[in-house]
Amino acid sequence: MKRWMPFAWIAAFRFLREGWMQSLFILAGVAMGVAVIVFMSALMASSQANFLRRVLSAQAHVVLLPQEEVARPLRGAEDVIADPRVQRPAQRLRSIDQWQAMLRQLATMPEVIEATPVASGAALAVRGDASRSITLNGVEAESYFRIVLIPENMVAGQTRLGTDDIMIGAELATQLGVGIGDRIRVSAARGSEATLTVSGIFDLGNKSVNERTTYVALRTAQSLLRLIGGVTSIQVTVADIWAAEQLAGRIKALTGIKVESWIATNQQFFTAINAQETMITMIRLAVGLSVALGIASVLVVSVVQRSREIGILRAMGARRAQVLRVFLIQGGVLGFVGALIGASLAFGALRAFHALVRQADGRELFPLVLDPWLFVAASALAAVTGVLAAVAPALRAARLDPVVAIRG
Amino acid sequence: MGDAARGPSAAAPPPDVLRLAGVRKSYNVGLPSEVEVLHGIDLSLRVGEFAALIGPSGSGKSTLLNLIGLLDRPNEGSVFIEGQDTRTLTDRQLTRLRGHRIGFVFQHHHLIGAFTAAENVLMPILVDRDRPDAAMQARADALLERVGLLPWRDALVGTLSGGQAQRVAVARALAMEPALVLADEPTGNLDTRSADGVFALLRDINRASGTAFLVVTHDPRLARRCDRVIEVVDGAIVADAPVVAR
Repeated sequence: MKRWMPFAWIAAFRFLREGWMQSLFILAGVAMGVAVIVFMSALMASSQANFLRRVLSAQAHVVLLPQEEVARPLRGAEDVIADPRVQRPAQRLRSIDQWQAMLRQLATMPEVIEATPVASGAALAVRGDASRSITLNGVEAESYFRIVLIPENMVAGQTRLGTDDIMIGAELATQLGVGIGDRIRVSAARGSEATLTVSGIFDLGNKSVNERTTYVALRTAQSLLRLIGGVTSIQVTVADIWAAEQLAGRIKALTGIKVESWIATNQQFFTAINAQETMITMIRLAVGLSVALGIASVLVVSVVQRSREIGILRAMGARRAQVLRVFLIQGGVLGFVGALIGASLAFGALRAFHALVRQADGRELFPLVLDPWLFVAASALAAVTGVLAAVAPALRAARLDPVVAIRG
Repeated sequence: MGDAARGPSAAAPPPDVLRLAGVRKSYNVGLPSEVEVLHGIDLSLRVGEFAALIGPSGSGKSTLLNLIGLLDRPNEGSVFIEGQDTRTLTDRQLTRLRGHRIGFVFQHHHLIGAFTAAENVLMPILVDRDRPDAAMQARADALLERVGLLPWRDALVGTLSGGQAQRVAVARALAMEPALVLADEPTGNLDTRSADGVFALLRDINRASGTAFLVVTHDPRLARRCDRVIEVVDGAIVADAPVVAR
C-alpha cells in the first residue's frame, strides 16, 4: 500500500486489479475507440495541411485587383433616365491606379509578409505549327517567388527571368516540344509579339495549371500586354492565413479597390473541409459515446458486485464522497490508461499507413502531421469522459444504504 | 487490587456506553403496509459489558443492531452513544461517530477481497485518516498478532479459512479502539471449534480492553458465556438479566 496515496485511489486501483479481466476488456475497448479517433483526426489534419500547403504555395493569400468596370444607365435632360436597359460591359485589361503607393502602404502593415505587383493577361505561345493559349504573368521574380513557391517545383532550368526569358509549365513544354534554351513566340491579345527563351520548366502538380501558366519579367509582360508601367494585381502573403479575409476587408476599405482573400476564392475547398469536419466529428462523438457507455456499464456491474463491500466501508465510517471518488477515479483511470494505449496504437497505425500507402510513383501520399497536442488532448478527453461516464455508477454506489448493501 | 485502593470510585457503576430511550422503528411509514418492528425499546450497556442479544428470527434483533450501530435512525426515541444523543447529528456526523466509536463483526466476515489481511484490519483507520502511515500498519500488525494471524498479514483474504477470516474481521472491528463492538452472529458461519475460538477471542478482548460487546446469537451455549442476556421477541425486550455463574 503506497503511503502517499489517498484511500480512494488505493481502493480504486485495488478494485480494478481484482476485476482484472473486466478492466482489461474495457481498457481494450477504450484503446480501440481512442485509436480510431486519433488516427482519423491525425490523418484528416495531415491531409488538410497538405492540401492547404499546396493551395497556398501556388497562390497569394490576398490579391488586390482593379475595380470592375460598371456601365451606368443613359441619362437625358434633367437627369431623367433615357434608357434603363444596361448592358454589362466587357472587362478590359486595366492597371491598378496608383499601385506603387498601394504597395508602399501594404509594406507598412504588420500583418503583411510580402507584397508584389503582377501584370497578367492572355496570350498565345507558338512554336512551329503548335500554338497554345497561355496566361502570361509578369512578375518581379525575387518577391513573387517568395509567394508562389515556383523554385520548389522546378523540373528543369532556373528561376531566372531576364527580359527575354520565360518560365513555363511542364505540360506546356511537352505540348510545344520545348526544353531549356529553346525559343517560343508569344503573341499577346493586343497584337504585341516577342520571342522568348525558355529559362525554366516547373510542375505545380496540376495539369491544367501546367498547361497555361507562364512567367516572364514584369517589364516584358507590361510591354506585351501594353500596360506600360501598369500592373493588373498586387499579390500579398500574410502572417495569419486565417485572418486573410478580415485583412482583405481592411485593405478594401483603405484603397477602395477590389480585394479578394484566398478564403473567398477557395470557398469550395472550405465547404469540403467543413463537410469532412462534420463527418469526423460525428464519428468522434459516436466512438466517444461508445467508450463512455462501455466504461459506465463496467462500473455499474462493479458497483452491483461490490455493493456489500461498499456497505461495509460505509459501516466502517467511509463517507459518501470517498465512495463516490473510488468509482470516479476508476472511470478516469480506465479512460486515461485506455487513451494512452489507444494513442500509441494510433501512432503505430499512422506510421504504418504513411509507410505502406504511397502514390503511384512511390512518393509519400502526404507528409504526416503528428501534433503532440492531439495525443495529449485525446488522453485528457478520454480521462474526462471516463470520469463523466463513472458519475452515474459512482452516485449509485455513494447512495447505497449500508444496511441494505450489507444484507445484500 | 483491594477495595481500599479503589477508593470512592469503586462504588460508582461504570458509565453507559450505549443507551436507548423509547426507541421505535417502523417501515413503510405512511403506507397501508406500515409496520412497527420495534416498540419503545429502553436499553443500556455499560463500559466493559459483554451482552448477548437473543430472540427468534424476525423479532427485530437486526433492526435493533442497525439502530445501535447508527446505520439507521429510529422513528421515535433516542440512541445515546457514550452519552451523546445521536438524534440531532447529521449523516456525516453519524458516519464519523460510527467509524470512531463502534466496531462491527458480521455473520459473514465481509472482508474486502481486493486487500490483504493487514490492509483489511487497518481499513477503518485508513478511511478515517485517508492516507496510510507507519503507525497504522504497526497497529494492524499488533491486532493481527492479538488474533493470532500475524503470519498471514500479507495474505489476500480469499486465501484464509472461514475462522481465520472472522478473526481478521474481529481485528478490523477493533482497529479504531471503539467503545462498543456489535457482533451479528459472528460465529454463525463457523464450525463449533472455530466458533468457540472466535467467541473466546471476543471475550478475551472484552476483558483485556474493556470494550463493550453486544453479540447477537442463536446459540444458547454461547449466550450463557456472556455477562448478560437480552431477549427480544416481537420488537420488545422480554427479558434482560445477568447470566448466573455456575
